[in-house]
Amino acid sequence: MGEDTETPQINHGFLRDHNYVTEADIISTVEFNHTGELLATGDKGGRVVIFQREPESKNDPYGQGEYNVYSTFQSHEPEFDYLKSLEIEEKINKIKWLPQQNAGHSLLSTNDKTIKLWKITERDKKPEGYNLKDEEGKLKDLSTVTSLQVPVLKPTDLMVEVSPRRIFANGHTYHVNSISVNSDCETYMSADDLRINLWHLAITDRSFNIVDIKPANMEDLTEVITASEFHPHHCNLFVYSSSKGSLRLCDMRASALCDKHFKLFEEPEDPGSRSFFSEIISSVSDVKFSHSGRYMLARDYLTVKVWDLNMETKPIEIYQIHDYLRSKLCSLYENDCIFDKFECAWNGSDSVIMTGAYNNFFRMFDRNTKRDVTLEASRESSKPRAILKPRRVCIGGKRRKDDISVDSLDFTKKILHTAWHPTENIIAIAATNNLYIFQDKMNSGMH
Amino acid sequence: MLGRGLKRKLSDYEENMAGVSSAFDSSRNLPYPLKRQLVLNVCLAKLQMYKMLVEPNLHRSVLIANTVRQIQEEMRQETSQHLVNMCGGLSTSPSGYLNLDLLAISSILKDLDFMEDVSPPTYLAASGDDQSKASETPCPRLEDERQDLKGVECAFGSFEISNSTSYLKDLAIDDIFEDIDTSMYDSDFDCPPLAPSRALPVVTSNIPIGRSDLSDLDHIMEILVGS
Repeated sequence: MGEDTETPQINHGFLRDHNYVTEADIISTVEFNHTGELLATGDKGGRVVIFQREPESKNDPYGQGEYNVYSTFQSHEPEFDYLKSLEIEEKINKIKWLPQQNAGHSLLSTNDKTIKLWKITERDKKPEGYNLKDEEGKLKDLSTVTSLQVPVLKPTDLMVEVSPRRIFANGHTYHVNSISVNSDCETYMSADDLRINLWHLAITDRSFNIVDIKPANMEDLTEVITASEFHPHHCNLFVYSSSKGSLRLCDMRASALCDKHFKLFEEPEDPGSRSFFSEIISSVSDVKFSHSGRYMLARDYLTVKVWDLNMETKPIEIYQIHDYLRSKLCSLYENDCIFDKFECAWNGSDSVIMTGAYNNFFRMFDRNTKRDVTLEASRESSKPRAILKPRRVCIGGKRRKDDISVDSLDFTKKILHTAWHPTENIIAIAATNNLYIFQDKMNSGMH
Repeated sequence: MLGRGLKRKLSDYEENMAGVSSAFDSSRNLPYPLKRQLVLNVCLAKLQMYKMLVEPNLHRSVLIANTVRQIQEEMRQETSQHLVNMCGGLSTSPSGYLNLDLLAISSILKDLDFMEDVSPPTYLAASGDDQSKASETPCPRLEDERQDLKGVECAFGSFEISNSTSYLKDLAIDDIFEDIDTSMYDSDFDCPPLAPSRALPVVTSNIPIGRSDLSDLDHIMEILVGS
């Protein structure tokens, strides 16, 4: 991922042509499917938009790899829980694709409380020539039926149909922050602030509680679950991260309720850098297993850390995202930015990691060369097929051209959600209400 | 060279510290106890704000509560060593804060527990009383605050409270307001936008105004219309 070789190009900024951003348009999650052919986004308005990669075209060299809207549907609606007098937002917290098992595609989407399984199927043929029904499907006058015919399938315009298959409701008292499909392809888990449930994909009326950290007395509560994920290969293993900065690896073979972790990944606190906000900035906002299953990536407020599953005492790599904010933690606490939940992503070969920052910046770190880059996803500075220029945040007096000073960073423009294509160097970046898809056209660099 | 410049040099860092944007950030130059007090105030303000929400964000509430606990623990240790050297205007005894904080934390966490109760949450039932209780909001006294914290009614009072700006302390303002008949406002009284930070309490009491109250009321109305 050197600056010479890497030429990421913008295929699309799916810019909604509004002069204003409505709250509902804000993208709240981005997820590639297992082949990378489809990309799903969820937004605060409860909608899911699916993009499909266009097949390769010889005439248009740029056409290959472009993602276009494939289907849009309303996944969740605002609800009201009358029993608890609670409004349930429609915001899509997470989307996870199921491994493809037939011609159709399936995904799970969740808001704060309810997880839904959606099936996306294509239809490009229509039966015609029924004996007893006319074109509109109405019954024919039987006296007009004089001969028998064989109905045939005629090609029609491609239609994408989305249908809800399962609704997994009433499993969560607190807000669902993660869902993860198990490698056994039969079960998945959903995690809220205090509990993790295990579901069978075909059974909606019961789930198994596999983690419960709710204390008997809520006054004793000092820690919450922030994210959770299944191991990509071992269906018995999963990890969950906490607001105290630790990762707990649990083995479902040990007991039905995995309250006792099997491994605890925790870094001893550095007394030198202790401040009022030490705990808040160490709260893990996202945890992701590497594709190999050997490592875990954990994002906290200022850093992203790589943990080796075989070493619990300290992370093997620590990357600073925006250490210059350390002096601004008071303001960031005051305006609640310090609670922003940045996600993180691995590239297909686990050699590069990516995570978001403020001012529409996102950061990439090459684990081999230890090089890092700051890129910007913005409407102003990017045109289709433009090459992204690295950005630099100036933290001192010596300021180069194009540098941006820490004080002029826009904290309302944050990149919380990013996704990396499972095999290729294509990334999807959600910047408020815009989705940017960048592609490494040279297919070089990024080892 | 990309990224290379992001390595932090101490000298760069110091320079950067000078160019801070927020007034809060400039607190870095403040003495430690005052800074701590500022952080504590913001914590309490946030906890109060979350209490107003039907379903506060548990993650944030826990992080803030832990921050308060940490500060509290620090202050407790200092108190036990008789090293209480609070700064200037913030001369309130720390022990008062400690109790207040404890209450604030436990009450917000307790509230979060309601979600599992089948019975309706207690604070929702209080909504009928909210309007009359709201008049108690601008009450700056710590002792009173302690009680207020038990209910959810206490809204934006926490800043005043923690800043210990007790200029309203001796004015039994809530008592007076409680007796005002709102029909007075409903008439063509043109009320000027007074004290924007302190929203005018809506009082729904229909208690007939006694004669003895009338002079007080006149006085209040004078203040209100700014005559």
